[in-house]
Amino acid sequence: MDQSPQTSSQPAKGERIRLTDLPVGTAGRVCDLEGEANVCARLREIGICESAVIERISGQHTLLCQLCGTRIALSDSAAKYIMVERLNGQKPKG
Amino acid sequence: MRPPVYALVGTPNCGKTTLFNALTGLNQKIGNYPGVTVEKHEGTAYSQHGQPMTVIDLPGAYSLAARAPDEAVLRDVLLGRRADTPQPDRIICIVDATNLERNLYLVHQVLDLGRPVILVLNMMDLAARAGLRLRLGRMEQTLGLPVIPCVAINGTGLLELKLAMSRHDLPLSRHNWDVPAPIAAAVTELQASLTNHDGKPPLIARAEALLLLTDRDSVRVAGSTPLHPRTAEILRQWQQRWAAEGTDWAEMLVNARHRSIARLCANLVEHPGAAPTGRSASDRIDAVATHPWWGWVVFIGVMAAMFFSIFTLAEYPMNWIDGRMAALADGVKHVLAPGDLRDLLTNGVIGGAGAVIVFLPQIMLLFFFIGLLESTGYMARAAFFMDRLMGRVGLNGRAFIPLLSSHACAIPGIMSTRTIEDKRDRLTTILVAPLMSCSARLPVFLLMIAALVPGDRVPVVTKVGLILFMYTLGAAGAFGFAWLFKRTLLKGAPSPMILEMPPYRVPALPAVVRQMWERAWAFLGSAGTVILGISIVLWFLTAYPKAPAGATPGAQLAQSYAGRAGHLLEPVIKPLGFDWQIGIGLVTSMAAREVFVSTMGVVFNAEGGKKDTTPLREALRQATWPDGRPLFTPLTCFTLMIYYVFAMQCLSTLAVVRRETGSWKWPAFQLAYMTGTAWIVCFVVVNTGRALGF
Repeated sequence: MDQSPQTSSQPAKGERIRLTDLPVGTAGRVCDLEGEANVCARLREIGICESAVIERISGQHTLLCQLCGTRIALSDSAAKYIMVERLNGQKPKG
Repeated sequence: MRPPVYALVGTPNCGKTTLFNALTGLNQKIGNYPGVTVEKHEGTAYSQHGQPMTVIDLPGAYSLAARAPDEAVLRDVLLGRRADTPQPDRIICIVDATNLERNLYLVHQVLDLGRPVILVLNMMDLAARAGLRLRLGRMEQTLGLPVIPCVAINGTGLLELKLAMSRHDLPLSRHNWDVPAPIAAAVTELQASLTNHDGKPPLIARAEALLLLTDRDSVRVAGSTPLHPRTAEILRQWQQRWAAEGTDWAEMLVNARHRSIARLCANLVEHPGAAPTGRSASDRIDAVATHPWWGWVVFIGVMAAMFFSIFTLAEYPMNWIDGRMAALADGVKHVLAPGDLRDLLTNGVIGGAGAVIVFLPQIMLLFFFIGLLESTGYMARAAFFMDRLMGRVGLNGRAFIPLLSSHACAIPGIMSTRTIEDKRDRLTTILVAPLMSCSARLPVFLLMIAALVPGDRVPVVTKVGLILFMYTLGAAGAFGFAWLFKRTLLKGAPSPMILEMPPYRVPALPAVVRQMWERAWAFLGSAGTVILGISIVLWFLTAYPKAPAGATPGAQLAQSYAGRAGHLLEPVIKPLGFDWQIGIGLVTSMAAREVFVSTMGVVFNAEGGKKDTTPLREALRQATWPDGRPLFTPLTCFTLMIYYVFAMQCLSTLAVVRRETGSWKWPAFQLAYMTGTAWIVCFVVVNTGRALGF
């Protein structure tokens, strides 16, 4: 098989990444919250806790996400604490 | 026997206020929790037997862990920590039925309190439309409490709720969940101490123990009973032990709670196969409203339409109020003989009250539009857009609404900073809010533009352009100082914005109008009384000591205490091109900026009010320095406008800042930095202008 260089920088399905690195239009399952305790506590209270499914809809500095049918605006400084496992993605070309 | 007290509790955007208004109607009163700037909404509902029931609408929150003063009040009232508010006998928890699992976290904590609870599932119509089926009977059985389906906006379920509230025998919940084993010992020990030393009933003590163990940044507010030293020591020891072990006990507890809620919902919520697919109406609107480019078009369009409406629609009632105040003053002059009493009533009382009331239409319209945007769900989108810009100066998108409100008047803007969680962000917003040009500056700008531009009529483009320039300058100043304060005095990274964006809804106009009245009344109460008092004091300063009989009003003003203050001020303001007569105007406009116009009228012996500036304009153009040089040159007029952009000239705003910050330090600092900035900027402008030959 031709080993052409990997051209896609898209995270693969199942790969653990920060929410800020999740491509727009894809969903991820929250696997952990890593960061400032206060912010993580706040995220959990609003429903962004382990095993919740969150979809990134748009935005760079401030992310627009969807969680259980509700839209939530998150500053990137909060979103970077959310570790997700990508749910629907494509493997990088190899 | 006192009527039973119900607390109404829920997350933001669940329809709590709509339900409160539906339950209590006009039988409401709004006050403040003593010692803390959080509004207290209390009302009376009536049982099926006609017995009164007190309902307290507590601030909305996602959890009992408090990060802001209003959330601290919610926690303290439910835990019985406030001496000024009785612990509620019963609690009504209202949740958004379309998102039950996400909204049950707060309810789960409330059920720990061991008080009778009624669970209200609101927005059942939207839940049905989303294809959700909630097993209400099973929910009642599992939780052991009444569950009332409701659509608060149209009153569906209200009768059933009142019937439930009327019951004498409301059961306690069968709520039970497993605290993680490593924490159970801490909960038990803390609970025992809270019971023995703090006098809490056992179930409340357990709920409070759980909260203390998860509450990392426990906000304490005035009026909240502190913990017994022994209890505080137990808490500290456990926290230290876990910190040494590296155990994140708070995360463990929160996750355990979420697992309990998930298990509950698995049996109670069904998604029968035929759930609607495709984008909802909200999704389709958001595709434009939150688009990186089209979103800005929508945002600017909405803001422009809002301000255009405020400044045009308000003109009619403002003119009417102006006319009525003038008629009232004339009536008093007609009835009373000339003298101090007549002057006090016409210039002090009526003039002072008029200075507040005349801006009420603009303020009410602003509150109306803000309430309308909040009610439709768009305001959250506006905060989303502004978050990036605010982040550049160290604030987050939530600061946008107070700054926006300050364009009508800084006082309601400053009061609305109560929703900002981070203390430094809140203080920064309070300090810079008065730089957003308020309505009171407009009469000064209009007078100066009339004096500055040659000819009888000022071209509209010139007028709008200059006013827009001044507004932009003020906003730039606000953002600039916010940037500076967040890097120096109030150093800290911008607090992250975590904001739920509600679905778009048709606005509930009765609720919006009611909120408009409440906010306007709060403004009148806080600002109106202060302005009136200051106006009377300033009247005294302009009326005494008396000039010899036969002196003109201008001569009286010149040798009054205010006039002497103007003379004293002259060495300081002369470098800016201002003389002692303008100085008097700067002193009197501390009551309200627009008083500058009427003061100039008196100083230069010109008739005419804020609208008809022709005689005053002519008088200003003819005014001179003692050596014959014109006083109100175009450069002086321009400089004076800039002075009013930056200077802090509203004592009532300072009084409100004092109340909101709980200290005189911050209003004093605000007065110093704003007035100092005004002086420096005007000095630069006037000298640059002179160098360029103006």
